[in-house]
Amino acid sequence: MASAEQHPSPGARSTGVTYQELLKTDSKPVPQVFAHESPADVGPLVVPRERFISREFHDLEMEKLWTKVWQMACREEEIPEPGDHVVYDIGDRSLIVMRAPDRSIKAFHNACLHRGRQLREYGGNVLRLRCPFHGWTWNLDGSLRQIPCGWDFPHVEKAKYDLPEARTGTWGGFVFVNMDTEAESLDDYVGDLSAHFERWPLEERYKEVHVEKRLRCNWKVAQDAFMEAYHVIATHPQLLACIGDCNSQYDVYGNFSRAITPNGTPSPHITWEATEQEVLDGLTNTYDDEEALMTVPEGMNARAVMAQAMRMQLQRTVPGVHDLCDAELLDNFYYTLFPNFHPWAAYNRITYRFRPYENDPDRCLMEVMYLMPFRGKRPPPCAITRLDFDEPWTNATELGFLARVFEQDTFNLPKVQRGLHASARSHATLARYQETKLRHFHALLERYVSA
Amino acid sequence: MAKLKHALSGAVYTLRPDGRVEVDDRGSVGVFEADGRWHSGELKSADPHMIGWLVSGLTAAAALAATKPAPPPRRRSPAVSETTGANHGTGETRRENKGMDLGLSGMKALVTAASRGIGLSIARTFADEGADVAICARSAPGLEEARKDLETRGVKVFTACADVGDEASIKGFVQQAGEALGGLDIVVCNASGGGGMGDAAWQAGVDIDLLGSARTVEAAVPMLGESEAGSVVFIGSTAALEFLGMPQPYSAVKAALLTHANDLSQALAPRGIRVNTVSPGPIYFEGGNWEMIKQAMPKVYEQALASCAIGRMGAPEEIARAVVFLASPAASLITGANLVADGGFTKRVSF
Repeated sequence: MASAEQHPSPGARSTGVTYQELLKTDSKPVPQVFAHESPADVGPLVVPRERFISREFHDLEMEKLWTKVWQMACREEEIPEPGDHVVYDIGDRSLIVMRAPDRSIKAFHNACLHRGRQLREYGGNVLRLRCPFHGWTWNLDGSLRQIPCGWDFPHVEKAKYDLPEARTGTWGGFVFVNMDTEAESLDDYVGDLSAHFERWPLEERYKEVHVEKRLRCNWKVAQDAFMEAYHVIATHPQLLACIGDCNSQYDVYGNFSRAITPNGTPSPHITWEATEQEVLDGLTNTYDDEEALMTVPEGMNARAVMAQAMRMQLQRTVPGVHDLCDAELLDNFYYTLFPNFHPWAAYNRITYRFRPYENDPDRCLMEVMYLMPFRGKRPPPCAITRLDFDEPWTNATELGFLARVFEQDTFNLPKVQRGLHASARSHATLARYQETKLRHFHALLERYVSA
Repeated sequence: MAKLKHALSGAVYTLRPDGRVEVDDRGSVGVFEADGRWHSGELKSADPHMIGWLVSGLTAAAALAATKPAPPPRRRSPAVSETTGANHGTGETRRENKGMDLGLSGMKALVTAASRGIGLSIARTFADEGADVAICARSAPGLEEARKDLETRGVKVFTACADVGDEASIKGFVQQAGEALGGLDIVVCNASGGGGMGDAAWQAGVDIDLLGSARTVEAAVPMLGESEAGSVVFIGSTAALEFLGMPQPYSAVKAALLTHANDLSQALAPRGIRVNTVSPGPIYFEGGNWEMIKQAMPKVYEQALASCAIGRMGAPEEIARAVVFLASPAASLITGANLVADGGFTKRVSF
């Protein structure tokens, strides 16, 4: 798939301080990966609403997108030993992502070649893949091992009955799959993404938290909500004293995009002068009637204080933490690799994934993972906490205070879905710069569904 | 109280103790439910995201959580996509919880004096872990209530009236229980003569706490020896460890029990049977001693409460969990131990 075309053009921006200007105030040298921009006036400014609500479009996505694109299936750390496997479901399709005996990773279409029964319903570890219906058995590398009453299948050419496979690849400790055997390699698909994550290789993290939440909206409605900071003014108003929302930076690079939203700087929206202490109180979520958790010393600013606190917190697990710049300890760097994978860079730990829920255009699954650095022996990856439609994020206490931020975000989403159904307009309209990531996504989506 | 100023409008949002949110927008005040619906006052509209932020979520359940302590971390379920576990043969997988497995499923546990209070809580906890249970008590009605409760937990339950202070009665009970359940893996000696002063209290302590426990174990040892993970837990008390205000026979008796438990642990180890003690501090439950003391002797109650470092007395379930852990195969290396579960009531170092 060719990359989205880029027509770099600055266009109108917020009057607030730009990210590049903010970086100049950093207490340490700032790496090149931040100290540049890659804006692009690319992609549609309107999106037909039926893309978010219609069964027809969902089916089109299944036919043209999900069976043709590289998508994240699981973490490598979840399948360390031969026989370990994870079942990856997308719509009606299902893949068994398996660590083979030679330690490579394979993905088998999850259906017996006899009469189609699902081979595995959940992950775990097996010695062989044996269908629970008639006992047809495959080896872990997908080769056919045994058919009971083989004499009854003279018409079956054994060599042609190995389990059909999907492509696999790994990036950043994640396993990716692609059902299109003709697709370009994952390395080609991700392009420069590895260069962006060079300072924070995600393969050197372990999965400490993984929460999967069901939501009553289309997967793209949910995903779009996490690709821009424009919504902070109404959705996270408590953050306005300490977040650079409308002066965030948005960049496009081929199949992936990036947004940078700085913390510890007041929003250009507020009409009053925030003191550094007020900014720090915002960052530490200190209420007005509470004593400040930390105070800003004379001559320092909130960003420097917060960054120093982060260094203290990370020094046991991150070598060389004192050489990290303030920006990489503080700010939000949210990347999106098309179609649905959102690894955050630096030390904000978050990775998101969004998928349709079963085959329903009006419901989806949103997953939040925290990938933590570690020292010494690799801790085992955590189990997944699953939250149902009406369970609040705050039930997953392992998420910490971010659970409340997710509650604010997802509070809107079923109402967006409802509103799209009720709308008298045929299109949703996007912001020119702040919704760059959405425009980029919908441009790539258009390429796939119209291919 | 949590107070938050809206950065754009300047309105002040305050989370009230009753869980509602008061909004003051330059003197115009309104009160809202946790889900954002207006409750009362002149101001009629407020930012739902700010309300939600204060009450940690935008559903009624989360609003409730804001006024109560946070719920305990969800037990991570073992289902789907992330478990590993050895398997041999058919290609089926044993779905394994990555957490600690107590190994109690299918085991057989006997608990004396278990129709109420700590004893019942222990029996419930065993049952919830998948162990069959046998319990006794002196009175039939209480025992019947307990039996019904335990049967709802999906395990085999055997009950019989027995007097732990009577040799024939307690030994008979242990035999019957073993026959009914098909063996015994665990015995918990929970019966006690209780507090009091004078000769009667001494006699009760010796007959029920000491002899009763010794006889229960004696009768059970042949069956415990057959078990893959036989274990005994005695219920002691912090009264044995520190002076509790007056010299009660109960304290001396419980101290003697500790020594007997220790000796048994050495003697029975070659037969694969572990013996441990759990020593509770003050445990409060409906119908228990501390409830009665609270009503009749409030000063004594207050004093005891003040000595609890964690600021409260214990609940039966908290003792039950300690007992069930020590009794379970998961505590395979622990024998001769005295696990003090008292919320910091005793101040000494547990050498």
